Amino acid sequence: MRFAWTFAIAVVLACLVPLVSPNYMMTIIVEALIWGIFAMSLDLLVGYTRLYSFGHVAAYGLGAYTSALLLLHFNLPLPIAIILAVAISSLIAVPIAWVCTRTHGVSFAMLTLAFAQLGYAMLYRFKEFTGGSNGLAGIPRPAGPFGLEVFQGKIGYFYLVVFCLFGSYLLCRLLVNSPFGSVLAGIRENEAKTSALGYNTRAYKRAVVIASYGFGSLAGALYAPFAGFASPELFFWLISGKVLIMVIVGGAGTLIGPIIGGIFFIFLEHQLAEFTDLWPLIFGAIFIAFVMLAPQGIWGLVTSAASERRRSPGDAASESEDVTGASA
Amino acid sequence: MNFAGFLLTQCLNALSQASILFFIASGLTLIFGIMRIVNFAHGALFMLGAYAGYTAVRVTGSFTAALIFAPIVTGLVGIAFERVFLSRLYARGDGGAYLMVTFGLAVIMGEAIRLIWGAQALGVPTPEALRGAVLLLDQPFPRYRLFLIVIGATAAIAMWQFLERTRAGLLIRAVSQNAEMVHALGTNVEWVRTGVFGLGCAMAAIGGVLAAPLVTAFLGMSASVIIDAFVIVIIGGMGSFLGSIIGSLLVAFVQVFGAYYYPDLAMAIMYLLMLMILVVRPGGLLGKEE
Repeated sequence: MRFAWTFAIAVVLACLVPLVSPNYMMTIIVEALIWGIFAMSLDLLVGYTRLYSFGHVAAYGLGAYTSALLLLHFNLPLPIAIILAVAISSLIAVPIAWVCTRTHGVSFAMLTLAFAQLGYAMLYRFKEFTGGSNGLAGIPRPAGPFGLEVFQGKIGYFYLVVFCLFGSYLLCRLLVNSPFGSVLAGIRENEAKTSALGYNTRAYKRAVVIASYGFGSLAGALYAPFAGFASPELFFWLISGKVLIMVIVGGAGTLIGPIIGGIFFIFLEHQLAEFTDLWPLIFGAIFIAFVMLAPQGIWGLVTSAASERRRSPGDAASESEDVTGASA
Repeated sequence: MNFAGFLLTQCLNALSQASILFFIASGLTLIFGIMRIVNFAHGALFMLGAYAGYTAVRVTGSFTAALIFAPIVTGLVGIAFERVFLSRLYARGDGGAYLMVTFGLAVIMGEAIRLIWGAQALGVPTPEALRGAVLLLDQPFPRYRLFLIVIGATAAIAMWQFLERTRAGLLIRAVSQNAEMVHALGTNVEWVRTGVFGLGCAMAAIGGVLAAPLVTAFLGMSASVIIDAFVIVIIGGMGSFLGSIIGSLLVAFVQVFGAYYYPDLAMAIMYLLMLMILVVRPGGLLGKEE
C-alpha cells in the first residue's frame, strides 16, 4: 500500500514537471528520463543477476536504429513504431543472449562488448541502410492514421517518455519480485547451487538478457525520434561504460537507484559541461569513489540511512550489513 | 604485380602489427592470470606510454631513452594505482569491482593526458637509423617495421624465458595457480601481485612507444587498442601467456589481410573470429573456462 501511494505521488509530480520547468530545459529532462530507462534495463543484469554487460549500448543502438528505420521508411504512428522497434530488437537479442549466456563473469562482459562492436562495425558495412558515419537524419514523428499529433511537440513527447519510464519500472519490479526474480537472485548469489536445486539457470539467464535488451532498446527507440537523428555515436562502446557507471553510482539491484543515477548523471554532465571541460575527470573520480567506498550506491545509502532512523540503534548495524550484502 | 613479394610484405606487415599488439596483450593476460583483474585501463596506460615516449624523445632526442623512460613512468603509475585502489578490493572478491575501478582510471587518465599534452596528435619521428625502406623481392618494406618484428620476437622469447627459467617467473606461475598455497609457503604474494601489475603496465608502455612513430600519439588510441587487446586475450585464453602470442598473431593477420581484401568488414571479421572461438571454447584457445 505504501508503495502504491509513493508511486502515485511520483507520477503526479512527474506530470507537473512541464508546468514548472522552462521550455528549454525540457530537452535535457526528456533525455535524462530516457537514460533512466536505459540504466534501469541494465540493472536487471548487473544488480539482479550479477552479469556484467560491457556492451549494453547494443540494446540502445539497436532500438534507436530500428525505430529510426521504421519511421523513415513506413508512415507508422510513433507509439506503434516504438513498440515494433522493441519487439524487433528483442528478437535480435535472442541469438545474442543464447551465445553470451554460455559464459559468465569476465567472458560474459567481453562477449557483450564484442556483440556491441559487431553492431558498430555493421553500421559501416551496410551504409546504404544506416547512412554509415553520417547516420540517419530527419527522422519524422508521424501522426499516423489516428492523428496522434501530441507527440510531435516536446511536452507531448515528455509525457510519452514518462509513461514508458513508469510503465517499464512497474514491469521490471513485477519481474524481480516474481518467482522468476527469486531464481535470478539465486543465480547472483550462487549459480552452482541454484542449478543443483533443479533450475535451468542458463534458460533464466537467457530470459533476463533478452528482457534487459528489450527495455534497453525501448530507451534507444525513444531517443532516436526525439533527437531526430541516429548516428554511430549511439553504438559507441563508451556508452556501455557510462550506463554501467550510472547503475553502480545510483545503486545496483534497486531499479530506482539506476533510474536516479541515469537522471542525475545526465543533469550533472549538462551542468558541468557548461562551465568546465573537465567533467569526464570528475565523472571518473566520482565513479571510483563510489565503487571503493559506497558500492551500494546513492539509493543504497538513502535506504540504509532511512531504515537506520526508523529502527532502534541496536538493529541499525545488522540492517546496514543486509543492505551491503544485497547490493554488493 | 609480383604476388610473392606482395604476400611477403603483407605477412611482415602483420608480424610487425602483432609485435605491438603482443606488448599490450601479454601484460593484460599476465595481470589477469595473477590477479583475476581485467585491467580496463590498459589501453590508457598504452597511451600514456606513447605520450611519455614523445616527451622523452623531445627532451633527449633519443628513441632508446624513450623506450626506457616511458615504461618506468607508466609502471610506477600502475604500481601506485594497484597499491592505492586495487589492493583494497582484494578482500571483496568481486571481479566486477576491478573492471569498474580500472574503467574509472581509464576515463581519468584520458582526461589527464589531454590536460597535460593537449588535444592534438603528437608525431614521434622514426629514429634516424630505422628510416627508409629495404627491398624484399622487389617490394619496398619500411625498416622500422622490420625493427618492430625483431623487438617483438625478442621480447616474447625473453618473457617466456623469464617465466619459465627464473625464480621470479616460477613465483608468478605459482601465484596464478594457487595464491593461498604460495602465501602459506612463506612468499609475500602482495609483492608478486604489485610487481606483475607494474610489469604489465610497463609492457603496455613499450607498446605505446613503439606504436607512436607509426600512428602518432593521439587521444583515441586507448579505445581502439584496448578492444584489440581484449579480443586477443579472449581468443588466446585469459591468463595464458602463449595464448596472448597466438592471439596477437591471429588478430594482426586478420586485420592486415582483412583491411586489404574486405576493407568494410575488417573490424567485423575480428569479432566474428572471437565469437566463433568463444562458442567452441568458452575459455579461449589455451585458457580454462572460468
